[in-house]
Amino acid sequence: MSRAEFSYDFPHRHLLSVADLNPVDIQIIFERAAHYLAANRTPDKRTDVLRGLTVLNLFFEASTRTQGSFEMAGKRLGADVVNFAVAHSSASKGESLSDTARTLAAMKPDIMVVRHSATGAPQFLADRTGLSVVNAGDGMHEHPTQALLDSFTLAQRWGSVGGRRILIVGDILHSRVARSNIGLLNILGAEIRLCAPPTLLPSDVDQWGCDVFHDLDEALKGCDAVMALRQQRERMSGGFVPSEREFFHLFGLTHERLEAASPDVLVMHPGPMNRGVEIHTKLADDPERSVILEQVESGVAVRMAILELIGANIRKEASA
Amino acid sequence: MSTSLAITNARLVDPASGHDGPGGVLIEDGVIAQTGNELDLDAADEIIDAKGRILAPALIDLRCAKEPALTPDGETIDTLCAAAMSGGFGTIVLAPNARSPLDKADGFAGMSRGLNQRSVRILSACGATQGLAGEQMAEIGLMVRGGAVYAGQGDRPIADTALMRRLVSYTSQFDIWLACRPADAGLSRGSVAMESDWSARMGLPSEPAVSERIAIERDAALAELSGGKLMIDRLSTAAGLDALRHVRSRDLEIAATVAVAHLTLNEVDAGGLDSAFRLDPPLRGESDRLTLVEAVTAGEIDAVVSDHRPTPFDDKADPFALAMAGTLSLETMLGAMLGLVHEGELELIDALRVMTSGPADLLGLPQGRIAVGAPADLILIDGDKPWVCQPDGFASARGNSAWAGRRFQGRVLQTIVSGDTLYNP
Repeated sequence: MSRAEFSYDFPHRHLLSVADLNPVDIQIIFERAAHYLAANRTPDKRTDVLRGLTVLNLFFEASTRTQGSFEMAGKRLGADVVNFAVAHSSASKGESLSDTARTLAAMKPDIMVVRHSATGAPQFLADRTGLSVVNAGDGMHEHPTQALLDSFTLAQRWGSVGGRRILIVGDILHSRVARSNIGLLNILGAEIRLCAPPTLLPSDVDQWGCDVFHDLDEALKGCDAVMALRQQRERMSGGFVPSEREFFHLFGLTHERLEAASPDVLVMHPGPMNRGVEIHTKLADDPERSVILEQVESGVAVRMAILELIGANIRKEASA
Repeated sequence: MSTSLAITNARLVDPASGHDGPGGVLIEDGVIAQTGNELDLDAADEIIDAKGRILAPALIDLRCAKEPALTPDGETIDTLCAAAMSGGFGTIVLAPNARSPLDKADGFAGMSRGLNQRSVRILSACGATQGLAGEQMAEIGLMVRGGAVYAGQGDRPIADTALMRRLVSYTSQFDIWLACRPADAGLSRGSVAMESDWSARMGLPSEPAVSERIAIERDAALAELSGGKLMIDRLSTAAGLDALRHVRSRDLEIAATVAVAHLTLNEVDAGGLDSAFRLDPPLRGESDRLTLVEAVTAGEIDAVVSDHRPTPFDDKADPFALAMAGTLSLETMLGAMLGLVHEGELELIDALRVMTSGPADLLGLPQGRIAVGAPADLILIDGDKPWVCQPDGFASARGNSAWAGRRFQGRVLQTIVSGDTLYNP
């Protein structure tokens, strides 16, 4: 299935939630990402498709990998990329989010990549500024580019994720990665399983279209991929599990436990990893199983694809 | 070596099947092979004619304590076992308490295995929070893997509602009971008696009965929210029973236990401020006691527990309000319960149900019933034999009994576990 077969163009000028995407949108993103994945492996990574556009990285929460990945993606596409580490500037001087947004919008950037600790902050900024916004993580709500790069990584291995059985294990309650992945994998027709202690599952999880487990060995049966999530201590108040040791005994991924899964099972982690808590260190480093570094590589390609597609729509709007 | 033992001509009382009538059992290899009146006696190596005696499942206690290891002159596992055997118990569960919180996962499995090798079956529960402080969850999962049969919190209610919610939720994944004393932490803090005319006159720090009701309603609401199994660990008031009835009208897994002290004693017994009656929960009014006895008959109480707690002599020798709470109970529980039967307050089969199949069913144990294939854990009782409770004669090294000097009618003659006679004075 290629893009030429559809008389359909990517219609979005924001990426706020995976729920805004349909399967063809996703297909288009993956197709462009595959192109950039290959290009990124050559010495000629740089293109000029975003020349003239300014991408503003607006991270209200500390981030290394996501911000770096977006920055690299923007630069490789020829955009001017500006990083605003908001945590250290206006916000700490008491400026409201609305004022910060209008101030930055007055500098006329074209795309804002936003990470914020509050659910809905990227949507809020999109509404207030009229700029194109890419959600780089809002609270415990969504992290759409992470979900896209996860599915893209799997699709590179398998061709398609539809019909595959994928397990997400760990702190689902506090995870925006889990929420976006569940949304996206549902759109793509994968069978989703969740496994966590009841204290780390949302209360309405039975209505999320997933099979829910508390026993990892049971949950792993026949899985094609398993994604481990770290406990989001920064979002927790009090203890949701007694100890990291107990968590590892009950929910930690190991080679031994993976024997219940499909023989070619792939292991994923959105990072940062806590070795010996959600994943055994040997498993994290096993090239036969772990696609964790492939996820990071895919991340740049997927973000290039998204910036390119949104950039094209910005130009289209401007010329119209 | 295969051995077989037959017990015939008894009054066989088996609450699990509801049978109370003439009968006997044939035991082979530690398991009940036949029951009824027509046993194959040719196969038996030994036959006991139990004419005039009661044959019942050996008792099961979900809540007892030993003193912490290495307590000078303390009660040990040996004395605890001896007390259990002479009291008619085949299975006892060590429950966490402030002195022995059972909250450390390290060594828990080893301790469980050690307890397992005893002649009386000894199981262990685990502490739900670290040090039972009600602040941090203990490593419940690792202790369940090590053999813990439920998680409990001793006498300390959990004040933090968010933590209680997480505990109910967290324990649900292991399908174990979370046992919590029904008391509102704020209302019960520092109290040594129930709020009543008597405690007011005595000037004792006291706890209102609604403390129990508030805790049951809160904890049941949290169990409803998060889907856990809640054990009301020692119901003691009529107000609490009301709350239990109310929350049971919803689709919840809620079990309730009562300590034998609250079925057989009341606050008048503590009237002389004898520290032997300083208990947690405190002794209640006579109407509370009668209401709880009726609840046993009505099947609303799943298990009666001994709440056996040896206390050092020095700690009991303090004035009532300062003395350590607790009473020895394993050796007097059956006598005290039979007292209710002789008084006409309780039928024998109902009294036995909450000490045998009731607790067994809560933990999913195969014993506690007289059925073919069940472990041969049995007791023979002389239902009428009079005796006087004299703590000096107890197997326990301690003497803190709230029933000291009391006259009982009915006593264990023989305790059999896995077909082996452990006690036969």
